[in-house]
Amino acid sequence: MGLKMLEISNLHARVEDEDGEGKAILKGVSLSAPAGEVHAIMGPNGSGKSTLSYVLSGRDGYEVTDGGAMLSGEDLLAMDPEERAAKGVFLSFQYPVEIPGVPTLTFVKEALNAQRRARGEDEMKAPDFMKLARENAAKLSISNDMLKRPVNVGFSGGEKKRMEIFQALMLQPKLLILDETDSGLDIDALKVVAEGVNALRSPDRTMLVITHYQRLLDYLKPDIVHVISAGKIAATGGPDLALELEKDGYDKYIEEAA
Amino acid sequence: MTAPFKLSDFEAALVDALPQGEVREALTGRGLPHRRVEEWKWSDLRTVLARFNAQRVPLVLEGTRHPDFAAKPASEHLMPRIAAGLGGEAQGFTLEDGETLRLDFAAQAGAAHQVLEIRVPEGVTATLQEIYTASEGTFANIAVAIIVAPGATLHRIVEQDRAEGAVLVVTSEIDLAKDAAMNQTTLGFGAKLARLETHVTHAGEGASLRLDGAYVVGEGLHLDQTSLVRHTGPGGETDELFKGAARSGTGVFQGKIHVEQAAQKTGAQMQHRGLLLDEKGEIDAKPELEIYADDVVCAHGNALGAIDEDALFYMRQRGLPEATARALLTESFLAEPLDRVADETLRATLLERLRARLREVA
Repeated sequence: MGLKMLEISNLHARVEDEDGEGKAILKGVSLSAPAGEVHAIMGPNGSGKSTLSYVLSGRDGYEVTDGGAMLSGEDLLAMDPEERAAKGVFLSFQYPVEIPGVPTLTFVKEALNAQRRARGEDEMKAPDFMKLARENAAKLSISNDMLKRPVNVGFSGGEKKRMEIFQALMLQPKLLILDETDSGLDIDALKVVAEGVNALRSPDRTMLVITHYQRLLDYLKPDIVHVISAGKIAATGGPDLALELEKDGYDKYIEEAA
Repeated sequence: MTAPFKLSDFEAALVDALPQGEVREALTGRGLPHRRVEEWKWSDLRTVLARFNAQRVPLVLEGTRHPDFAAKPASEHLMPRIAAGLGGEAQGFTLEDGETLRLDFAAQAGAAHQVLEIRVPEGVTATLQEIYTASEGTFANIAVAIIVAPGATLHRIVEQDRAEGAVLVVTSEIDLAKDAAMNQTTLGFGAKLARLETHVTHAGEGASLRLDGAYVVGEGLHLDQTSLVRHTGPGGETDELFKGAARSGTGVFQGKIHVEQAAQKTGAQMQHRGLLLDEKGEIDAKPELEIYADDVVCAHGNALGAIDEDALFYMRQRGLPEATARALLTESFLAEPLDRVADETLRATLLERLRARLREVA
């Protein structure tokens, strides 16, 4: 067992709505993921899967009302999103955002060097950055032309997901959260993305793979599978649990929660 | 007029200095343009100048070469006519093929008036770069007449430096002949009040016009970009793209495209997009099409918004500090008109000026 990379304890969070009331989404999530492990988080729609990824990465509009989340012993929830990124949190978005006018490579270089500065490291020199970018792009069949285009603008669903994994390869996070990375991918695109993710497996890295379906897990082979339902972890098990969900669906857990 | 009209001290001083004639009478009767004059409703020149020093000072005009004639353009607009009445010797330049003429305008506290004429002869392709700076307490009133002859092409770049406490009015009247082209790009950062007013008489028949602008107005600064393009002949093209951002400052966009009945087959479009960087930022926009021909393709669009919060979070999630992410998003928004500048060096210079200003404002 490695060091507890990610430790989530009794996490309660609500999403703010227009009238300021707030709706409770996470109602006591606890999980512990050591370095080197891949944890799948599965659950029906509306169970709180994406909320968990946003709370961990620090998106505005989510209020933590109880519990906490630690990354390598540091209080994650006290940090701004960019501080968390510099500490090694990377969220691969379900819907990557288009940023017109900012070339992908420029963006990744700015992000990488901002993280390095925040950690007190020297910036990466341009030739080293270019070499690294070309190597990682090749792993994901990303062309030079795509790297020059504005971030995600005009990319297909599959291209956007490949670009997310490309950025993860460039930034080498300690905690990689994949939010519905398989959504909108055909089987060929899924394989390319899964290979990229597998290249990121490392004894120094923890992955949370948030997904509704089993099919991405066929390629990623998680160590642990959690079922989240109605804002709580309803079950935790080995890879077999994912297969069982594929066969029987989430009904059992939805009924239990109700 | 029901209420008796009283000139401000500034206006009275202008009237005293003007020679007898129509301009003097017009100014005496109506005063300077103010907020109850429709074309100036968002830029109240009269009020802003009321306490200014009207003492005439020379406008410092530094060009890469000397003028080669004395201009005598006639204008129907009040501000250029005042400039003609008070500006002393008008200056004129005839551009040569391949030439880039750079003119730096600067004025020190006081009122400066200047008339300028630029001629681009038949078949000539040239670039005109104007840079306007003004120190606090300055009123600079500049009239620029431009003649783009048949088959000629003019690339015009106008940079208006941030000028706190100064008032700047640049009125350009452009005559675009058939088969001629003009590509104009402005980059402005505002003043106590700055107005870049552009009138184009567009002959059509193969003539094309690109009228673009980017602006950033910070606290206490005001920039008004007003244009009127008049299509008088058939088959002309006009393409306008203006983008701006306001943080506790005021941006004004007034754009009008007028298509006369004779100007069939005109293709014209005008877009303005504004970004409000804080709650005190203000952008006033009035795009207008006035079309008297029935076979034309004309469109206009106008939209105001704030920074895209989803994009901002995405960038921060990748490690960019919030201020950097905001500046980068604002820059990418504003760069679009500047990206259309054909000359690589000029384009890079404009982008760098924009970037430097956004480091202070975004």
